[in-house]
Amino acid sequence: MNEESVWLEQARQGDKSAFGKIIEAYQSPVFNLAYRMLNNANEAEEAAQEAFIRAYTRLDSYNPQHKFSTWLLSITSNYCIDLIRKRRAILLSIDEPLAPHPALMSDRTASPESQALQGEQEEMVQRLLQELPEDYRQAVVLRYWYELSYEEIAEMMETSVSAIKSRLFRARKQLAEIGMAMNIEPSYEASQI
Amino acid sequence: MELEDRIYALMMDALDGELTPAEQSELDAHLEARPSYKAEWQAMLAVDTLLRQSPAMVPAADFAQRTMARLPNQQVRLWVISAVYISLLITGILPLVLGLWVFSQLGDELVEPAFIEMALQSLAEGYQVALAISRAMISAVGGLLVQQPVLLGWLLVLGGIASLWGGIYRQLVSQTRPLSA
Repeated sequence: MNEESVWLEQARQGDKSAFGKIIEAYQSPVFNLAYRMLNNANEAEEAAQEAFIRAYTRLDSYNPQHKFSTWLLSITSNYCIDLIRKRRAILLSIDEPLAPHPALMSDRTASPESQALQGEQEEMVQRLLQELPEDYRQAVVLRYWYELSYEEIAEMMETSVSAIKSRLFRARKQLAEIGMAMNIEPSYEASQI
Repeated sequence: MELEDRIYALMMDALDGELTPAEQSELDAHLEARPSYKAEWQAMLAVDTLLRQSPAMVPAADFAQRTMARLPNQQVRLWVISAVYISLLITGILPLVLGLWVFSQLGDELVEPAFIEMALQSLAEGYQVALAISRAMISAVGGLLVQQPVLLGWLLVLGGIASLWGGIYRQLVSQTRPLSA
């Protein structure tokens, strides 16, 4: 039994501090997923907290034969999709200004130029992601930041592998079109072709 | 169309790092011969690179502590659920036990044909009475709504106000603490 399984078993018995270890271990992937999906640091933090609370209260339904991270990310992404749909339903604009992210502001070791470049690239990534429909965005985020296989993404999104391949293909095509319109520099073309 | 599908399939495999050297050469040849595909491929590569270089975001330093503070107390929850289940069990079992006790005390009298006939007759009469009361109530309410349609409107308005205040109350109760404290 590995450390994570022990923490999960203790958390299942109601041990909050054991679940605290789980939160510490997974806070970054969960927050990152919420941030990429929602494009707002405050909302992402709220969503990440809610995902952890849901995971904690539903630990009995977790099947240990599957990876815990996959289960947790699945809860997070489904919650974010619900939030996006609710947000659309109450007619709030999703193009609200991007809240400054603490991770970008706290990097005091980086030079001002590199901070500016980092911020610019980050903004561009978020702008690209926000152009995608939420189910395409979900597939792209899970593929690029979590390096999940098509099978794992399909399992998380409760759909088929061919549907995921199709979504990623369409998402990549759409992103390429937007990238061309935004004049994103093809910095790696020489090494690839 | 088949050629277009083939080129896009090669592009996707290339982005996933699954191209064989032979397929890579095939893709290169297609792209050199077709500038429009090459431009699209370059854009795909640029976006792919941008996404791959983008680091994972980390939450604020006290995120874990604040999340832990919001976790519900599972043990209390389990106790409450157990208490509810036990109460339901007792309320379900008690009438059964009482029934069995009555049967054991009055067993001989209860199986008399005259008693069974009387019990069935009472049940049928009870059913008839309940049916008559329900019909009368539905008819009275229907009649009232037809005569006083304003009443229906007023009830709907009251329901709306109650629902609105319920929503506000739930929002206030669920706001545990500000996020960026």
